[in-house]
Amino acid sequence: MNLKRFAALTKAGIQESLQYRLGTAVTLFSNLIYLALVYFLWKAIYASSGKDVVRGMTFEDTMIYLILATALFNFLEQFIVWDMSRSIQSGKIILDLLKPMKYRIYTFWSYSGAHVVQFFLTFTPTFIIVCLLTGGAIHIGVNLLFFVLSTVLALVVNFNIEMLVATLCLYTESTWGINIVKETIVLLLSGVSIPLAFFPETIRGIVSILPFRAVYDIPLTILLQKNGADQLSGLLPMLGMQLCWVVILTIAGNLFFNHAVRKITVNGG
Amino acid sequence: MNEKNNLTNQMPIHKRGLKFYASIYKKIIIQDIKSKMSYRADFIISTVGMVMTNLAGFLTFMILFHNFPTINGWDYHHMLFLYGFSLVALTPVQCFFDNNWNLRFQVQSGDFIKYCFRPINVFFYFISEVFDVKGLGQLAFGLGTLGYAWHKIGLPVTALNIGKTIVFLITASLFMIAIMNFAAATCFWIIGSGYVMVIMFRFKDFARYPASIFSGIFKIIFTFIIPIAFVAYYPSLVLLTPDKVPVLSWLSPLFGVLFFYLSYRFWMLGVRKYDFTGS
Repeated sequence: MNLKRFAALTKAGIQESLQYRLGTAVTLFSNLIYLALVYFLWKAIYASSGKDVVRGMTFEDTMIYLILATALFNFLEQFIVWDMSRSIQSGKIILDLLKPMKYRIYTFWSYSGAHVVQFFLTFTPTFIIVCLLTGGAIHIGVNLLFFVLSTVLALVVNFNIEMLVATLCLYTESTWGINIVKETIVLLLSGVSIPLAFFPETIRGIVSILPFRAVYDIPLTILLQKNGADQLSGLLPMLGMQLCWVVILTIAGNLFFNHAVRKITVNGG
Repeated sequence: MNEKNNLTNQMPIHKRGLKFYASIYKKIIIQDIKSKMSYRADFIISTVGMVMTNLAGFLTFMILFHNFPTINGWDYHHMLFLYGFSLVALTPVQCFFDNNWNLRFQVQSGDFIKYCFRPINVFFYFISEVFDVKGLGQLAFGLGTLGYAWHKIGLPVTALNIGKTIVFLITASLFMIAIMNFAAATCFWIIGSGYVMVIMFRFKDFARYPASIFSGIFKIIFTFIIPIAFVAYYPSLVLLTPDKVPVLSWLSPLFGVLFFYLSYRFWMLGVRKYDFTGS
């Protein structure tokens, strides 16, 4: 019964995303230009360093990491904070709260369709191109399976971070400010801007216990089989860490939302 | 004789036009700041957010230099100069042209039509509606970085250098304003084009690296089509390498004005297209 509801929401999301075909094409094109920028920057950086391997990362490793991180970023991106603040302003949130489904669960599944579309339209093509261009630098095997598993966990962690921040906005009525803080922290500490391998040891120690690493760095590390992710003994702690954050953030998010929803002030709903 | 008369007749009208727009701008801005001040918490959080993005950008920069001491022959202090220069150059787009971010929502919902009914320039009216105070934090951060790097490099503080800095900072900011105008105006034609603005805004982070890193077709793209090479690199060379300034650096003020004008025409073309759909 529940599954049927979820499937319906996913389907609606897929149809909605496919509406904006021109928008998707533009997105893909701008991403290519963005990746060209990343390529030139790191090429120059490695060329001037005079070394092939810096912090265990070759130029090729860094590029694969950053390209896939960008693709993953597009695939996982959600606009819950914006959508929620807009539906508070318009009063639409009341209708969503009255639905015979928990608000958090409803939001999660209504985004799932967009994720499915993005996965096939942005992540998969990027992944195939990177595989072909680098000719075997990415090991194809059981790591793909763990990568998918890890990505699903990453998706849930990301959703929970988004949802926590969106809930925070119910109190502050400041969307832009809160959202930019979140975006900055997530982009920097998850490894999308600079691979975490380049961070100085002390900062890395702190970053490695924070949940942001679970969104981009862990899935990519598993895919690229770095840091001992090719062995079960290295792999399990990473997946375990993700799972821990899923549990912690889900519980915290639920408690926080249930508390906040009683305080909502909707103007003119 | 006739021509001379025409000229003298037109002059006062032109002057009044500027004065007229300046007085309107002042009125609109005061309204905007008043309404922002009524959401004090939002104002404080947004300012903190702005400071955090700048700190994160700076941290990214430091982490890079922690691993790589030079980039394409540019050392730490020269890179820092470029970084500060780009931050200051990005301030006008943040402070004065922030309303471009709202354009797509207004166009989609149909609210944009209200701007078309006023007897003043649509672009002017729309853009002047928002003044983003928190951009001033970025200005302070940028000026500090620029000053520090200036001191460390040992550039002489002369009237000429300061004059050059001001002229070329304005030039650089014109390019970024133009890029964002183009990106925002795409929403008149493409639904769901919000991502264009987001990605263009992310491109600005690359303005702080020397444009000499690009090669081939991309050198042309990033110089003349998406001119991020002009947001800091070319204008700042006038100060950093006074002995061998590239021609493109000297031409950049001209290009900046031209590029801004083109973006304005493109934006207005979108408005006309919007008028015709009558939505």
